[in-house]
Amino acid sequence: MFRVIMKLAWASLSRRRGRSLLVISMIAVCLWGLLSLEGLYDGMIAQMIQNATRSDSGDISIFAKGYRQNNELAELVDSAALDKFLKNDGRILSFSKRIMQSGLVATAHYARNITIYGIDLTEEQKNGRLNNYIVSGEYSFANRSKGAIIGAELASKLSAKIGSKIIISAQNMVNEVSSSALKITGILKTHTVLDKNAVFIDRQKTRDLLMVPRGITQVLVTLKNRNKDIAVIQGDLAGIDGLEVWRWDEIYPALLQSKQMNEKFNLIISFLVFCVAGLGIFGVMSVSVLERMREFGIMLALGTKFSQIGSIIMLEAFLMAIMGFGTGSVFGGATLYYLKQYGLNLAIFSKGLEAFGMDSVMRAVIRPQYFFLALAAVMLAAFVSALLPLRFLQRAKPVSLIQTI
Amino acid sequence: MFIKIAIKNICAYRKRSIITVALTAFSTALLIFSSALMTGSHNKMLANAVEVYPGYLQITQKDFRDVPSYDNLIFDVKAMHRKLSSIPGIAAIGARFETFVLFAAENKTVGGMLAGIEPKNENRLSRLAQSLKEGSYLSDGDAAQVYLGVGLAKKLQVKVGDTLAFVGTGADYSFSADILYVKGIFQTGSFDFDNSTAFVNKAYFDDAMAAENYATQIIVLPQNPSKSDALAEQINQQLGTEYQALGWRKSMDGLVEAMELDSVFGYISLAIIFLVIFFVIMIYTLLNIMGRSREIGMMRALGTTPGQVFIMLWMECLILGMLSVFIGGLFGGGLTAYFHFHPIQLSGYEEQFKQYGLMAAALPTVFRPIMIARDILIILTLSLFAAIYPIFKVNRYRPLEAIHHV
Repeated sequence: MFRVIMKLAWASLSRRRGRSLLVISMIAVCLWGLLSLEGLYDGMIAQMIQNATRSDSGDISIFAKGYRQNNELAELVDSAALDKFLKNDGRILSFSKRIMQSGLVATAHYARNITIYGIDLTEEQKNGRLNNYIVSGEYSFANRSKGAIIGAELASKLSAKIGSKIIISAQNMVNEVSSSALKITGILKTHTVLDKNAVFIDRQKTRDLLMVPRGITQVLVTLKNRNKDIAVIQGDLAGIDGLEVWRWDEIYPALLQSKQMNEKFNLIISFLVFCVAGLGIFGVMSVSVLERMREFGIMLALGTKFSQIGSIIMLEAFLMAIMGFGTGSVFGGATLYYLKQYGLNLAIFSKGLEAFGMDSVMRAVIRPQYFFLALAAVMLAAFVSALLPLRFLQRAKPVSLIQTI
Repeated sequence: MFIKIAIKNICAYRKRSIITVALTAFSTALLIFSSALMTGSHNKMLANAVEVYPGYLQITQKDFRDVPSYDNLIFDVKAMHRKLSSIPGIAAIGARFETFVLFAAENKTVGGMLAGIEPKNENRLSRLAQSLKEGSYLSDGDAAQVYLGVGLAKKLQVKVGDTLAFVGTGADYSFSADILYVKGIFQTGSFDFDNSTAFVNKAYFDDAMAAENYATQIIVLPQNPSKSDALAEQINQQLGTEYQALGWRKSMDGLVEAMELDSVFGYISLAIIFLVIFFVIMIYTLLNIMGRSREIGMMRALGTTPGQVFIMLWMECLILGMLSVFIGGLFGGGLTAYFHFHPIQLSGYEEQFKQYGLMAAALPTVFRPIMIARDILIILTLSLFAAIYPIFKVNRYRPLEAIHHV
């Protein structure tokens, strides 16, 4: 029976090829646009989050209690229990430790406020692949740790190049100002606040400069499965005495808000598009039913069940929806794949993108849920659109339908 | 006659007409409101960002923006003032000297920006005075008194009346240090700015930093801020090649580009909605026109030319389109006017705005009749384009073919 219903539905669609193609094109075009846009927007946000977590916050950041409030150098993390946890917990992919202090950087002609980051290059490379952000020079502190890696925007303001000499000054543990002369060995660009104010130097050198014999300011932790484990690990770590544990979205609430705003925006656009598309399908289905009133009347008079006629009409709507979805998904998927592989080069807006913390080449992401949700939305739109004409048909009597001109 | 027939047809096919009018009116209202919101919110964000501190027009030595060192200062501020006062279109002028120093309070030392400003002039150039949170704003007679950002005050753990020291490099590259009294604390809403900036009276700054008659930049408030670029051009011609005057669109090009990019993505999203609406209008027009194939065939058989059929159907679409954009225009315009005076509050998104230095979570729409007219014209054109295919399709039939069309 299904084959007969399928044949009838297909025949009906073929008979009105123009309008069927129009509906299929409409669904395909709107899906293509929506999928591309959704993947690109999500890609933009993912890129911003990745830049922030890899270079600055990790998935989780650990500080000594009170440090985030006071930024005191004396408030250091120095916990054997934490070290044991970080080394032994299987959910943790990697971690790195930093000593941070606010200070001033000066060249022969200019000075600027900075944050000094005492880091271990190997740890940072393993944890956040910090080396990948180097845009000039090398990922090294040179012989005897006399080198420094600084943010690109800071380098530009200081007119400093690789090999330029800088002097950093900051308050040490005994509340005196310590200074050190360094040579720039590398310049990095992370598209975060680090570009403006970061001077990375060797962690041991930072200890000597700031007179910090032990302890660190921040531990950046990267998890194997961020979405699944972040809340549990935050709770576990918070149980260790003297620690404050922050998730990336607590350190960068703006990024979380961007993500939420983007999700809401996508939802509103998709809702509007599918409502309008549903109206298009409804128009075609209504006319298709109204045109065939006599045909349906005769079928009913000959003993065809209403449910069978209903199936034909529903199937027509679903066939158009599926064909539109298929075409739109192929084009949308292909566009997303291209944008994922090669990105969308928006160098023309590079300064604007930097203001938002984004790279000038934006890459899309492809998530299976885009397609599942789109399929569900298209099918729902088709179902609702076919429902009204069906109800109209259901109320009419076979004799009156046959008499319809 | 065509108008009469068109109106009759519109009334005869009421359902199709209502759906077409509703969809087109909705599109019109959506476009008017969205573009007014995008433009209005961007203008507001930019105005806030410009007015808080940077100013509408900045004059620097020509190399200062690329190499902001003491070698590239404005070395004769008084002469510059004299030259500028002869240029029409300027409402206010003020000199600033910005440098970076180490601030030290009792237990804390942090780096930050120390700027010498002319308090009275600055009052017209920026919103520093309006951003006062505690204590009081600077005055022209002040000596070692500092007006600092709320974040910086928090970092240094100082309050109004406390003292702090600064250590920096004077304009002659000499060592410079002094004790400052906290006169006031400001909060602009810009996270970076509030966390790292302090101001002193420029007369005091000049003594302390050996910067008499020097400035890193001069800020100009144009009488008409929207003509900042033109005024900058005029100033450049007067000052010659040694200096560079830049309107805010160029001095804050990153933020301007960010807003443009936001608009581009906004319009792309709208384009997808309009594309679907375009299809739906086309579908409804096609269904309506094809449903009248017999009637049109009959008209053609009785001698109506394809051109006359075209005009008749086109007239229907035009009347429907005009009615729709009128309704949509009224509705969209009304919404735009309302939110112009009652900005949309995006509470819960303040952090996002602060992070990007935008300082505004209340977004107004911009109410400009010319923009509304532009959006109305776009939708009217779209709706007329949507009718082209169905009209041509029915006109392709021969009279007999059309009469027999089922």
